[in-house]
Amino acid sequence: MAQNNVSPWIENAAEAPVEMSARIRLARNIRHIPFPHMVRDGDALDEVLEKLGAAFDEYQKVSMNMLKFEDKALLVEKHLISPLFTRQGLHSYINEEESVSIMVNEEDHIRIQTMGAGIPIQDLYREAEAIDESLEDVVDYAFDENFGYLTACPTNVGTGMRASIMLHLPALTLGRKIERLSGNLNRFGFTLRGIYGEGSVPLGQIYQLSNQLTLGQTEEEIIQNLDELKSQIIEEELEMRSRLQSEHLLEVKDSVHRSYGILKHAYKMSLKEAAKCLSDVKLGIDLGVLEQKNFKFQKWIQLIQPAFLKMRLNEQHKHYTSLEQAVDEERATLMRELSGGK
Amino acid sequence: MKCESCNVREATIHITKGSGLDKSEKFLCEQCANASFESDFSYPDDSFNIHQLLKSLSQQQSMHQQQGKQKECETCGSTIDTIVKNGKFGCPDCYTTFDRQVPEIIARVQAHQTEHIGKVPKKSRSQIKVKKQIETLKMKLSELIESQEFEEAAVIRDEIRELEKAGGMDGAE
Ligand SMILES: [Zn+2]
Ligand SMILES: [Zn+2]
Repeated sequence: MAQNNVSPWIENAAEAPVEMSARIRLARNIRHIPFPHMVRDGDALDEVLEKLGAAFDEYQKVSMNMLKFEDKALLVEKHLISPLFTRQGLHSYINEEESVSIMVNEEDHIRIQTMGAGIPIQDLYREAEAIDESLEDVVDYAFDENFGYLTACPTNVGTGMRASIMLHLPALTLGRKIERLSGNLNRFGFTLRGIYGEGSVPLGQIYQLSNQLTLGQTEEEIIQNLDELKSQIIEEELEMRSRLQSEHLLEVKDSVHRSYGILKHAYKMSLKEAAKCLSDVKLGIDLGVLEQKNFKFQKWIQLIQPAFLKMRLNEQHKHYTSLEQAVDEERATLMRELSGGK
Repeated sequence: MKCESCNVREATIHITKGSGLDKSEKFLCEQCANASFESDFSYPDDSFNIHQLLKSLSQQQSMHQQQGKQKECETCGSTIDTIVKNGKFGCPDCYTTFDRQVPEIIARVQAHQTEHIGKVPKKSRSQIKVKKQIETLKMKLSELIESQEFEEAAVIRDEIRELEKAGGMDGAE
């Protein structure tokens, strides 16, 4: 795995206004084996792991007990593993594109995850389903005729599927429409929340739309509903943007170019500031008030995360008492480089 | 330097959170540093409705205690108590062990949905199919017996036995 770069699928992801990447996650468990939080040593899974290893021999096997903290943090920032997995996970099988990750011993025995950008979420489901079916040949899934796939947490029971789409919603955030929107979505069994952190304005104004319910609907129905809701949200965001443009063009231009100036000229930058500037510039490009070739929102928003930046620092800096300062400095340096500043 | 969180292990990792006035710095051991991820990354899969679940579980539990001693799952040793504590079932068999409480719990966290209509694993697909076949044949059998067509009935009965043997009806469903 190219340690200090973004995943190939992010590198090659097409940039679109509003819509970012999508993800499918399937939760699966093995019959008669206690769920991961009940097992201390993972012994019960040994035989299963052996079979899995053979089934995924073309994938890279990443074992949690072999990784340092910084390496795990990087995988979390790439969304290839979850925070919980850094603590209790055993192995993750990751494909070359880093778009597929199969986690063993997350909250459930097996979690299959597929990610992508610019491709229909149906295709991501099909990809996950194919992996699911090949796994079925080697393990016995815990499945109940009425309740479907049995999971550690009943919030995942049934399809075991979580489908999600990341959306960049700066105009709706600015217009304070997110709360009303997510309230409406909840009533349909979907949620909209910030992808990074729990603050009122999430980092980079990036949100994740995902299904909350996993029972009573087929996978296809859930995905279709998700897709329809996504289109509605995109439409609302674009409507809000054109209002912004027609009523507040000067303010928009000013804040977009100010943020661009910071990216190009600052010498230290917090994560929060960098994310805000990137979000402003992305909006400016989408609205046509700023031209910046090679701007890659999805890629850059990952590169400003702490673990990515720490990879760029040399050894001596890693033990620096004020690592934060070195990271903030490195973040600004990177942004200057990428945006063509000095 | 000892880890600031557990005060036991040696601190090897320096973590900072927030910025400006909200900024905090910590020196942690690897275990505690890993645990600190959770607050930085909302990983939207994890925390849905757990409170609702716990609430419904403790209500179920008080009902259960009135009925006498705590039931234990044979596969994992879980009781309703430990399930409440963890916010999770202990193993797939808990779903059958606690079959009195499970439908209620699921209905609550799944907005009153109670039945899976999505994908079925290949193995279960054939088992469910065989089960349905057996059901149909049994109906046919009782009709034949009623109309006293015993020769035909014997053939059907053998067919049912055959299916039950081959289908591996060992409680897999
Ligand atoms: Zn510690
Ligand atoms: Zn159990």
